[in-house]
Amino acid sequence: MGPDISHHPLQGADGSVTFSSNLCSILAAANGPVEVQRRDELPEEAAVEVNIRPPSGVSGPRERWLESVVAAVLRSVLHLHMHPRTLVQITLQITKAPSSTLKGAIRDVALLPSLINASFLALLDGGLPLRSTVAAVFLAVVGMGEVREDPSEKELAGCKSVHGLAYNNHGDLLLSESSGSFDLAEWENIADQAEETCRAAMAPLDEDGVVMKGTMSSGPWLRQELTDKAQAAVAWREAT
Amino acid sequence: MRYDRDIKNAKAIDRSSSRKTRSIPDITSRNPSPPQLHPHNTPSMEATMVLLPGENVPTDHLPKPKKGKLTLGPGLQHTPPSTISATTAGSLQVDHRKAALWLEHAGGRYQPSVGDLVIAQVHHSSVDTFSCALTPHTSFAILGQLAFEGVSKKTRPQLKAGDVVYARVSKASKWEDVEIECFNSATGKAEGMGQLKGGMVFDVRPAFARRLMMGTDKEGVSKGGVVVLEEVGGKVKFEVAVGRNGKVWVDSGSVRETVMIGQLLRGADEGGWDVEGQRKAVKKALRDV
Repeated sequence: MGPDISHHPLQGADGSVTFSSNLCSILAAANGPVEVQRRDELPEEAAVEVNIRPPSGVSGPRERWLESVVAAVLRSVLHLHMHPRTLVQITLQITKAPSSTLKGAIRDVALLPSLINASFLALLDGGLPLRSTVAAVFLAVVGMGEVREDPSEKELAGCKSVHGLAYNNHGDLLLSESSGSFDLAEWENIADQAEETCRAAMAPLDEDGVVMKGTMSSGPWLRQELTDKAQAAVAWREAT
Repeated sequence: MRYDRDIKNAKAIDRSSSRKTRSIPDITSRNPSPPQLHPHNTPSMEATMVLLPGENVPTDHLPKPKKGKLTLGPGLQHTPPSTISATTAGSLQVDHRKAALWLEHAGGRYQPSVGDLVIAQVHHSSVDTFSCALTPHTSFAILGQLAFEGVSKKTRPQLKAGDVVYARVSKASKWEDVEIECFNSATGKAEGMGQLKGGMVFDVRPAFARRLMMGTDKEGVSKGGVVVLEEVGGKVKFEVAVGRNGKVWVDSGSVRETVMIGQLLRGADEGGWDVEGQRKAVKKALRDV
């Protein structure tokens, strides 16, 4: 159900995760709160630094733009005021990117939801204080106005527009990036669908464990992953 | 809040210079004015619900506070007047007796809080303080040169860069540098703190260090589910000190034994061995020594 996630693959970082969706795979590492350089120090909150590395080649302006978008989202998610004059550092290594046959703008928009999901999971793994839970989703409008969630590359071939949106568990919209041709009514429809998917990703589990809702969403993958992880952490309590 | 001291009594530990590990609860009152909450009549069962960041603790899970004060531990944040929300993903643990609640989360970096026993490494010394590192890549903690038992301005402790000390956090706030001390400022006694000579320091996760420090309950069963040190202590003579910042100092007769104990601790932490698994691993390791 949902994307492929593996927890704490790196021993050297405070928190790390590998996150794979249909189009891309990300290895995310989070460190913090650590010592900050004097020039980046903020007097009342933590500074946030995001580093994105492409799968091959040297990082350039495209990565800088992605970093600025991800950093802006994470600033709304982290409890920055709990650790003033420190640094929260997130490194994102794209291990598999969408194929280069797609247009550049589509590839960027396709990467953003995975980057945000991966950073959030890495921050959580590292125990950094967070204000809310975030889920991001990538939607594409294909063919005759049909909306596909987390499409494969084949489905993206003739798409009209692509959209990356992220919502938190208080219902706030944190990310909205789009590319292609669409009008406002279409965007509103897509935003509603994205909100429903993100909410479903964080929906509470019922007694049996998993609630499958509708055909569009991939179930409460975020809630399931985090619940399994938290219960594994206290497994020793049940044993004694 | 302080518990009675729980001295680790492995059979073969050299008592005259043994370091005592104390079971100090993880709970510190994080708020200047804890909420005045309506008392509840709930049975004292430990809640195992998992909260995600940003979610509020439902009121029926809150313990009934006797003096009207609730203590919040790590992972929870109080928003006045009466909302308690989670700041990480973890399972909610409630202690009705102490009217405390916290989220249990494995991993993460150690955050200093007052009263914790930690193992610090001296980085450099200045006029009247030592600057010590508690965790890598964070600002130094300050250890006063006179914060030891029985020293005066004429007889200062001789600590050089790289020396390891067992200390207690005396001041920790987000606005100031962390301060540590090597004696109990109330009684003036060292109580096992001070320089740790020889031996080797191993890294474990802070949550595992807390389990090691939990001590044993009335029947002698380890409360934290870790029996590695007791099992090894039956056969090997060693000294151990556990720092809440995720460091364990071990000193034994030979290098091989020290490294073996360190590897067993790391294995129990990262491998997540249960009590039976720990006993098996200890037996296997002792055969080679």
